[in-house]
Amino acid sequence: MSTLTEAPPLAPVPEKKPPRKRGRLVPYWLLLPGILWLVVFFALPMVYQASTSVQTGSLEEGYKVTWHFATYWDALSEYWPQFLRSLLYAGAATILCLVLGYPLAYLIAFRAGRWRNLIMILVIAPFFTSFLIRTLAWKTILADSGPVVGALNTLHVLDVTSWLGWTSGDRVLATPLAVVCGLTYNFLPFMILPLYTSLERIDVRLHEAAGDLYARPITTFRRVTFPLSMPGVVSGTLLTFIPAAGDYVNADLLGSTDTRMVGNVIQTQFLRILDYPTAAALSFILMAAILAMVTVYIRKSGTEDLV
Amino acid sequence: MTTVTNKTDNTGDVRLSGISKTYDNGFTAVQPLDLTVPQGSFFALLGASGCGKTTTLRMIAGLEEPSSGTVFLGDQEVTSLPPYKRPVNTVFQSYALFPHLDIFENVAFGLRRRGIKSVKKQVEDMLELVQLGEQARKKPHQLSGGQQQRVAVARALINTPKVLLLDEPLGALDLKLRRQMQLELKRIQTEVGITFIHVTHDQEEAMTMADTVAVMNAGRVEQLGSPADLYENPNTTFVANFLGTSNLIEAEVDTKSGDEIVLKAGGGKLVLPEARCSAPTTTGGKVLVGVRPEKISLTHADEAGEIPEGRNRITGKIADSSFIGVSTQYVIDSPVCPEFEVYAQNIDRDARLVPGADVVLHWNPAHTFGLDAAQDIDAGIQEEAAV
Repeated sequence: MSTLTEAPPLAPVPEKKPPRKRGRLVPYWLLLPGILWLVVFFALPMVYQASTSVQTGSLEEGYKVTWHFATYWDALSEYWPQFLRSLLYAGAATILCLVLGYPLAYLIAFRAGRWRNLIMILVIAPFFTSFLIRTLAWKTILADSGPVVGALNTLHVLDVTSWLGWTSGDRVLATPLAVVCGLTYNFLPFMILPLYTSLERIDVRLHEAAGDLYARPITTFRRVTFPLSMPGVVSGTLLTFIPAAGDYVNADLLGSTDTRMVGNVIQTQFLRILDYPTAAALSFILMAAILAMVTVYIRKSGTEDLV
Repeated sequence: MTTVTNKTDNTGDVRLSGISKTYDNGFTAVQPLDLTVPQGSFFALLGASGCGKTTTLRMIAGLEEPSSGTVFLGDQEVTSLPPYKRPVNTVFQSYALFPHLDIFENVAFGLRRRGIKSVKKQVEDMLELVQLGEQARKKPHQLSGGQQQRVAVARALINTPKVLLLDEPLGALDLKLRRQMQLELKRIQTEVGITFIHVTHDQEEAMTMADTVAVMNAGRVEQLGSPADLYENPNTTFVANFLGTSNLIEAEVDTKSGDEIVLKAGGGKLVLPEARCSAPTTTGGKVLVGVRPEKISLTHADEAGEIPEGRNRITGKIADSSFIGVSTQYVIDSPVCPEFEVYAQNIDRDARLVPGADVVLHWNPAHTFGLDAAQDIDAGIQEEAAV
């Protein structure tokens, strides 16, 4: 706006004008690659999926947009158990990640000293192997005749988890517990990294100040460290929960037909049954559900002025 | 006074006995140190960065564990008490205010941790004292540096500690605000009567605020005393150079007469009162003779005859002069001391006193002090220049 009002008095000095104009456009040119990328790989597929979800027809006769919104209702009423299960498993994995990841991130940020970089590398190291291979490895770890199941059996832990419905009989594999473990394992680094980043930014003098003002170490954590790490907790839980809710690899490799998540349903609808409208509708419902939950979560945690 | 008041009187004493700190990497920050800070005093630990002053303060606060020695607060030994159990509070360098809490909650923090439920009245009174009543619901980052500093003081003082520790509390403020806060802190200290231990590298700050100053260097207390005493009677070259400016001349003891020592420096003779010499004086031995720049008068060489008898005198040539307003600072090139500094009040300026002029420097022998010549003559100069 200010450039517009200033333009007329600048007119008599033509040699000054061209560089100004070019300078003004530079930010847009710099934005262009990103915008193009978003349009091609995000906006267009979304529009395409949205239109697919309201089409009817068959593979042989072809699909047409008929604004058939009933697909959404049908999908939801048929697959709501898988939806619920997805949110439940993802929620459990997120909580487990937080419980496991927070102490580790705290250790790296405040206590690791010269071991800090080494531990960080160890946290990231699993990324050097493919997601699929790592999940397959868990199949071996949790195998029925493996040492883990043997140890849990001897300690009668499996009796308890079976009673809770997390495992069945002497098996861990192909049970909800295995799927949640797989999700936790696979998304743990996404929890640790943001937690570490926000813990590491906390000035240790704030801990000293709290101690100086009569706070015991546990109170210091409750009143100072944890509230200040909230941005990390929020982004860590989001980075864990969102992909975990849509994941199908863990449920596929470590679970059974009783542990199918919505990701598995979408995959089957798309690739096996070839019912594209239902698959697209399910994707949108999942997206909407996550968006709604995330919005409420961010509002509630009130981290705006911390970030 | 009754015994009861006597007993309460020393609860704010801080006694350090033989405390030292050696870090894991072998660096000794504080050499074994004995220090007593009496109840109700304003005590400054002055020194360049790395001299151990902050480590000493942190050992009193309990944030650092001494490698040896004991810390007493009043009659209570607190050496192994964690910070949250010590009746001391700290105003941290750059304040360390809790960024997620508003000003009110920052100030209330200590009270709440001690289980006090109704904090409103106390916090409001304290915010009033530091003139921040209006800002109670703001977050620390919304406040200016000076306001944040006052919050830090309020947050510590509200707990009515036995001792308030201040770690370079004014370091982040600009000069004008710093002067203002120095007076403010001094006022608060007089008002509340709490023992203040103030760590600073700013000699002017230490001198204006403290009753007693301990000058620290390389983990030791070089000298302890009132600001005027330290300035007039430095015991070491470090103190002489670190507090203000000193002209130091290497001289040889010639004769002693009564309570005066006559010394040879260059071709001339200088007189030094024996009471003001901290060095051993055997005839023929070396002594460093010191004099402060503002104690010296400058007279043009042509009028050398008019200088009264009995004054110490040195000849030289003006190498440089800078006009400051109230005074003019001269650098004199003299055979006994290559960069002799003189501050002359601008009362009657002699137009002939320009660079290149031959002059005679003279001063009252009573203003001369003597130091041990075995020390580094430049100790403490670098540090001050870095500030």
